[in-house]
Amino acid sequence: MSSITAPALPEDETFPAARGAFEDFWRRFHRDYVALAAICFIVFTIFAAVLGAPLAAWLTGHPPDQQYVNGLTIDGIPLPPMSHEVGPDGVTPNPHGEFFILGTDKLGRDVFVRLLYGARISLFVAFTATSVALLIGVVLGLIAGYYRAVGDAIISRGIETAMAFPALLFAVGLAAVIGAGLLNVIVVITIFSWYYPARVVRSAVLSLRQAQFVEAAHMVGASHRRVMFTHLLPQLTAPLIVYATGVIAANILFEAGLSYLGLGVPPPTASWGQMLSDGVSGGLYRVQPWLALIPGLALASLMLSFQLLGDGLRDALATKSAA
Amino acid sequence: MSGYAAHRVATAVAQLLIITLVAYLLFFVIADLTGASPAQRVAGKGATPERVREIAHIMGVDRPWYEQYATFLSRLARGNLGYSFQRRQPVADVVFPAAAVTASLVLGAAVLWVLIAIVVGLVGALHPRSLADRVLTIGVQVSIAAPVFWVAPMLAYLLAYQPTQGTLLGIPLGRSVSWLPIQGYVTLTSDPFEWARHLILPWIALAIGFAALYARFVRAFVLEQLSEEYVKTARAKGARESRIIRRHIGRLVAPAIVVLLGLDVGVALGGALFVEQVFGLPGLGYIGLSSIQNLDYGLTVGVITFAALVAVAANAAADLIQAMLDPRVRAQ
Repeated sequence: MSSITAPALPEDETFPAARGAFEDFWRRFHRDYVALAAICFIVFTIFAAVLGAPLAAWLTGHPPDQQYVNGLTIDGIPLPPMSHEVGPDGVTPNPHGEFFILGTDKLGRDVFVRLLYGARISLFVAFTATSVALLIGVVLGLIAGYYRAVGDAIISRGIETAMAFPALLFAVGLAAVIGAGLLNVIVVITIFSWYYPARVVRSAVLSLRQAQFVEAAHMVGASHRRVMFTHLLPQLTAPLIVYATGVIAANILFEAGLSYLGLGVPPPTASWGQMLSDGVSGGLYRVQPWLALIPGLALASLMLSFQLLGDGLRDALATKSAA
Repeated sequence: MSGYAAHRVATAVAQLLIITLVAYLLFFVIADLTGASPAQRVAGKGATPERVREIAHIMGVDRPWYEQYATFLSRLARGNLGYSFQRRQPVADVVFPAAAVTASLVLGAAVLWVLIAIVVGLVGALHPRSLADRVLTIGVQVSIAAPVFWVAPMLAYLLAYQPTQGTLLGIPLGRSVSWLPIQGYVTLTSDPFEWARHLILPWIALAIGFAALYARFVRAFVLEQLSEEYVKTARAKGARESRIIRRHIGRLVAPAIVVLLGLDVGVALGGALFVEQVFGLPGLGYIGLSSIQNLDYGLTVGVITFAALVAVAANAAADLIQAMLDPRVRAQ
């Protein structure tokens, strides 16, 4: 009877453990307090939008589209933050009436509840449009960078031409022609955000396609599609994640801009850009600066968080700035 | 060089053709399909179908799209941007005065943001990780994040409206001061002083975001150059730090900024749209937006064509300047 036994490992000797890519990333990222704070704020905003909005509407008893007659003074002026609705004389606050944490807007609606519902639109539009744009950009960039030749010529010229468009003016025109609506806003933003990712992927693939691992994959008989999607694409994950945070920030701004111009999601659905433009139009912000301050502050904080997260991810993933 | 220039100009012309074609299709063909018929709009709601067809014929929108586009192009080549049937005047008569307003806004803001960026970027690059650098970096991050359509009304509120109520940033002034107008525009030719006074806030509002982006660029660029061998050589030869910055690095930063400016003209036109909207400046963005709202698509296409022409030309000019200054670009 013979048995093979593995040689016993010496108990007291520790081997250096090989670190995975994620572990490597986490070791650097978990000390980056700015990026962690940014990600906390983003997660908080997502929760506030998804769960917080209906919760706030339920707790305050104020549906987002409910217009309160006593939420405006007798002169039609919205109420400032932390105020009760006005009493029968239309001026003095009624301490037993409805309470508005962030005041009311020009139609007497609760700004706090609308701010939370507005976050839904911002995040949903930005995430959806960015995902679709990245998908288009990655596929076109891979094809252009990998096959070169005619495909590259067509796609590259397409990217250059798309970049030459005065994007905002066209987006405004397109939004006006196809009409307002959630889907249309996403389509418009996608049309004007696919080409930067495509360019980034193309140039990355151009430099990677000569790499030895690509040659090796070809030698063992991998198909072009397999080389592109299982060998090249994983190499692009890190720069793409960094890049995506930037695109999301840009698209949050894009959506807010379209809504600000009245070309976003149609009223009465709350969106930050529209809340801002409601506060600005007609000079209302001179009487109640809160109406412009609050949604703008929310927008700027969310944009800032995505920027800082992007910087942190770039440092932790040790990728060069994509662009 | 001439080969590169010819190629670059040809590309610009091709881009312009595609942009105008897309603009034309979008506003005349797709708009027609979605029911916002330009002829119907001109004729008015109560017009009979015959009258609408008659007007469509006068406007030329009853012909196939390629014929319409060919007419549009041949007119464009002769400097005719079309006719606004709603305003009953040639588009050029509306676009050129508006372009002067937008040019005042964008060029003034560009001067401002380049100056700010150079100062902020140099402070950061020469004293990296100092307190000043850290404070400025935070300022840069916040300025990039703040949307222009939020910064503009906030500036108008704090610096123009509040002084009229007797306070400036919380400090009581004791009397109502109206040193900056909240809205409006005065042409340069009629009164240069009033022109500048009306544009100070719009300039600042448009410049803040760009200044932050450019400052970040200048800081990174100068920091990178400072570790180059030629800087060491210059230092070894006894050149002062100020001379190194001005004579050696400055010569590299300046063309890089020119190229960035050329690329950003289109983006700046987009930002100008919001600033014009907030401050009531009758610029390209303002009339472009109002033309879209009024379904005056002849004017819309005129504005977009003009804006695209400026953006594409600026882009090409930036590339040509870069090629002139850097032989490596020409070789590509």
